[in-house]
Amino acid sequence: MDEMLMGAIAVASLVAGLFFFRFWRSSRDTFFLFFALSFWIEAANRVALTVLFGSEFEPVFYLVRIVAYGLIVVAILQKNRKRS
Amino acid sequence: MAEVVYFLCALTSLSCFVLLFRAWRGSGARLLFWSSMCFAGMTVNNTLLVLDKVVFPTEVDLGTWRLAVALAAVLLLVFGLVWEEE
Repeated sequence: MDEMLMGAIAVASLVAGLFFFRFWRSSRDTFFLFFALSFWIEAANRVALTVLFGSEFEPVFYLVRIVAYGLIVVAILQKNRKRS
Repeated sequence: MAEVVYFLCALTSLSCFVLLFRAWRGSGARLLFWSSMCFAGMTVNNTLLVLDKVVFPTEVDLGTWRLAVALAAVLLLVFGLVWEEE
């Protein structure tokens, strides 16, 4: 059950990333590129976490998650700076 | 060390939610609304992570709940991305 949920989250994240990638292609706005990267990192991270579940490296995957979320924060902050 | 990482996960996802929500209120771009809803779910997901790993490390196993919340959050975003197109 858990593996199936993990796989579903990974694919949904991959798809969300692809949408943002397309928005970036049509607008050339780096805001969307940050989002695409963030969701792709999250997708890859979910797969890695599933494969190595319960290993001693587990906290490392959550560190990667912080990086992915950090990209979203950076995207918004640079957008705000551009606007002001 | 691991506990700090889990807390930071919750904190950064909350920051994403607040920033996205404020950006949506400021601009009205509906994509930002869906993104903020996704991160609202992620904040719940990471709060459960902290409860699961730090607060009640042995008492409960919230693993499946965490995954279900995360999946709902990302699916909500994908729905929004499809819905708002053009």
